[in-house]
Order: sequence, then structure tokens, then C-alpha cells
Amino acid sequence: MGVLTNIGLISFVALSAYLLILAGEMSFGQQGFFGVGAYTAGVATAMYGVPLPIAALMAMGAGAAAAFLVGLPTLRLRGLYFAMATLAAAEMLRIVFELIHFQREIDGEPVGPDGTQGFRGIRWVFENGVEREGYLAMVWGLLFVVVILFLIVERSKLGATLRMLGEDPELARMLGIHVERFKLGVVATAGALAALGGALYAHHNTYIEPRNFDIMLGVHSLAYALIGGLGTVFGPLLGVLIDIGALEGSRVFHGYRMIVFGGLVAVLLIFRPRGLLDERVVHWLKRRLA
Amino acid sequence: MILDLIQNSFDGLAMGASYALLAVGFTLVFGVLRRVNLSYGPAIMFGCYAATWVSFSFHSNIFLLLGIAVLGSVLAGTYVERLCFAPHHKGSAIAAMVASFALWMQFEEVVTLVMPKHLYDFPPMFDAEPLAIGPLSLRAEALVMLACALAICFALHRMLYRSRFGLALRAVTDAPVAAQLAGINVPRVLLLVFLLASAIGGLAGWLIVSTHTQVTPMLGMWSTLKGLLAMMIGGLGSLPGAVIGGLALGVLEAHSQWFLGPQARDLIAYLLLFVLLAWRPRWMTTSHG
Repeated sequence: MGVLTNIGLISFVALSAYLLILAGEMSFGQQGFFGVGAYTAGVATAMYGVPLPIAALMAMGAGAAAAFLVGLPTLRLRGLYFAMATLAAAEMLRIVFELIHFQREIDGEPVGPDGTQGFRGIRWVFENGVEREGYLAMVWGLLFVVVILFLIVERSKLGATLRMLGEDPELARMLGIHVERFKLGVVATAGALAALGGALYAHHNTYIEPRNFDIMLGVHSLAYALIGGLGTVFGPLLGVLIDIGALEGSRVFHGYRMIVFGGLVAVLLIFRPRGLLDERVVHWLKRRLA
Repeated sequence: MILDLIQNSFDGLAMGASYALLAVGFTLVFGVLRRVNLSYGPAIMFGCYAATWVSFSFHSNIFLLLGIAVLGSVLAGTYVERLCFAPHHKGSAIAAMVASFALWMQFEEVVTLVMPKHLYDFPPMFDAEPLAIGPLSLRAEALVMLACALAICFALHRMLYRSRFGLALRAVTDAPVAAQLAGINVPRVLLLVFLLASAIGGLAGWLIVSTHTQVTPMLGMWSTLKGLLAMMIGGLGSLPGAVIGGLALGVLEAHSQWFLGPQARDLIAYLLLFVLLAWRPRWMTTSHG
């Protein structure tokens, strides 16, 4: 049960990294917006009694705003420069989480982010009688909605523009697309998506700490998108499923998980540099199914 | 007050020298391959752990340990190059980088499987008291490190512009296809560059752990992040820039830690990187040197 919920939660970050890759940008910093979402939603429900759905919306807003602010000065950066700028931003956010001491007394107990000590007692789910199964259904339901939205966008003109931006921004510019404005929108959307994952993550774990949002999560989500494949929205989900599901679920590789997974990924990328479900496979599958 | 400032700058330069060494190795690979090797730090960590293991099991002669550290990181570097960079030489930069991240995970797990303790002692370079210059103190290790960083930068520069291998290297960097047509074995040159960078990394790793006299699994991530940071601050792809970037980062960190504490130190380092990237002064965009 926990594994299934985790797969769902991490999928949100993986999808936000995937969205940026489609637009031709590689981000090392999606974990920062995941963290912004987790902290925002946690503060809202645990300290001010806001219901989770509204808190999740607030988290998405905060994530989008943070991503917008990071995106604005870094819009013209590409490749490694953009990756490093997003990494720097995410690390700054993580350190800010370490510096925040913002607590309120609730029922005689201090509640709220306490720097490196973390943020305990995000118990909205528990207090409102949501069963673990119910929460799992909620996470996967939201993920389902996000996937559907992705599928709709990818079939639309918007999706074509997105991929064109990734392939050839100059061509896109010549065709009259406001490349900067469009990219800023993508960055903010990806930030909101990661933040939604963070909000759900905080309420699943009931405890978050700044370390949860370090570079490991960010690079993992990039890796998930790349292993699973860049051809379809199901690619990143497959990546998460392979790592967390197959390897953590089965205890066969206990203690050697990263050795197995790491080697698998490196070898896989030699043969399939755009992942298992890359554009060619997706195209072939579509033709087969049609 | 003035004394504190000077002392901090000394400490910063000492730390900066290790960043500079890490950044030089990074720059060498990035300058030629235009690829980021995230496994650079973890390969160094692998070498340092091998040396630590030898020092516990057999002997702790410092030159033996230096040799093991260099050998270990060269071996690890070869593995990384064969698996992550040679296959993606003409292909995707993202795929190469993610593959190198995957191997990072492997190194970290191998190291913690064989040596599971959180912290291991490492024999110091020598038992010398810090040199006292009036009221200031300067660790001798820092001088060794600084000298090594400058010597390596100088030697690499000479190699690039005075040797046949350097010529081949520059040819491969500037025009890979033309270099291939001129009879240069491009894959071999790329492998050699990688091994050279790994050897420098091994030396840097040994200098760092024998200065700090301890090894932890954090060494891998730390080396990669600090090396990347120093390389970016110094301007991508320039060797003297990497040294200056490393030293500048060290001094900045020492001062901000002294005045504002360790968290502010990291915050300021990342803020500097972010501002530099957004602002992009001329020296950050022009490469080669």
C-alpha cells in the first residue's frame, strides 16, 4: 500500500521533469517546487486548519509562483546553464526550509516548520478519518486526471508547439510563437505539478524535513522520465514503476538495489537514449492499435 | 577584525584550492566532451575509499595511499567513460548525464556495502603544526594543495598548447569530424582525456581527505557539487577560470560562514551561482583557454 502511494507521489515530480524535457529544458530543481508545495500545504492544514483540497490548490499556486520567479531571470539559458540555475534555486529553497522557524501553539503543542528539525504533525488525513485506501485512491485519482490532461494536450496544437519548442526554438520563433512567454508558462505549470505532488507527499508522510527535497529527488525524477521514455506521458510513470515498484517491492535485491538499478539504467540508455517508450515505439504502438 | 578577515581569507584559499582542483578535472572533461559527468565526484570517492581500505588492512604510507586513490579513481573513471560517455559520444548529452548519475548510485552503494561505517579516519599528509605568521596561522596542507592546483593548471596548459596530444585534443574539441579525417583516433583521445581528469580527481580527493583526515560517503556528492559550482563560477571550459572560480568560491564561503553561519554560506554560494547565470557576464560565456 505504501509503495503504491509512493509511486503515485513521485510520479508527479517525474511528470513535471518530463514536461520540461518536452519543452527542451532539463531541470535539476523540480524537488524545490515539490518542497514548496509540501511546506505550503502543511502549514495551511496543520497550522491554520485549511481543508486539504484548498491547501493543495494553494500549494500549486505557490509552486507555480516560485517556478515563475525562478524562470523569469533564467529564460534565455539553455542546457547545462538552465540545469545549474534550477539546481541553485532548488538548493536555495532547501536552505530556506532549514532556516524557517515558524510555529504556532495548537492544543498546547508547537506546530510548524522547525528548521532542520523538520515539520511534524501534518495530520489532516488522519484527523479527518480518511483511510489509507481512500488516500491512495485520491492520489491515483489526481494522477489520473493529470495524465488525461497530458494526453489531451499532447494531441492538441499546444502539444505540437511544446515539442517544436524542444526540438527547434528558433523555428518556433519564426512561426510567430512567443518562445519566452510560452516557456515561462511551461516552467510555472511544471512547478505547480511538482508542488501538488509535494502537498500530497507531506500529508501522506505527516512529517517532512528539508533533506527530503535535496538534489537526489530532482535527478531521480529526470532519470525516471528518461528511462521510461520521452515519447508519451506513460514513460515517466513507467520509470517510477520500474524503480520503486519492481525493485523496492521485491526484496530480492535488498542492499543491492542501487547497484542493479544504476547498471540497468546506464545499459538501457546506451540502446535507448530516449527511454523505453520513446517516440518511435509510441508511434509504432499507435499504428498497431489504430 | 582585520586579522579575522585575513585569517578567513587564508582558510578560504585553502578550501578554495581543493575546489579548484576538482573544478580543473571537471573542466577538462566538459571542455572537450561538452558533457557533464555527475559521477566525477563519486569516482573520486571510490578511489579514496579504496585508499582508506588499504590503510586499514595493510599499510598507511601516504604515497602508497596516493597511488591507490589515483588508481581507484582512474579505474572508476574508465568504467564511467565506457558505460556513459563512449556510447553517447555523438548522441544525447542528457542521456550521458543521466547514465553517469545512475553509476553514481552504484558507487555510493558499493562503497557503503564494503565499508558501512558513517565515517572513517584517513592518515594525515604529515604531522605538522600549522605555520604561524605573526598572529595568523596557515596549515601546511593548504599550501601543498594550492601548489598542486597551480602546478596542475600550468602543466595542463602546457600540454594543451605545446604537445602533440594537446594539439590532437584541441582539434577534437574544435572540429571532431575534421580531426577524425586527419587521422586522429577520436574515441581514444576522449578516453585519455577522461582518464587524465580522473587521475587529477584522484589526486584532489587524496589531498582533500588527508587534509580533513576523514572519509564519509558524502564525499561523492560534495565533490561533484563543489566542482560544478567552481567550474560554473570560473566560466565553463577555461582551466585558469576553474582555478580562479575555485579560489573565489572558497574565500566567499569562508567569509560568509564566519559572519553569517554555515547555512548562509551555502545559500550565498548558490545565490552567487544563480545571479551569475542569470546575468551572464562575458567571461562566463566565452570558453576555452
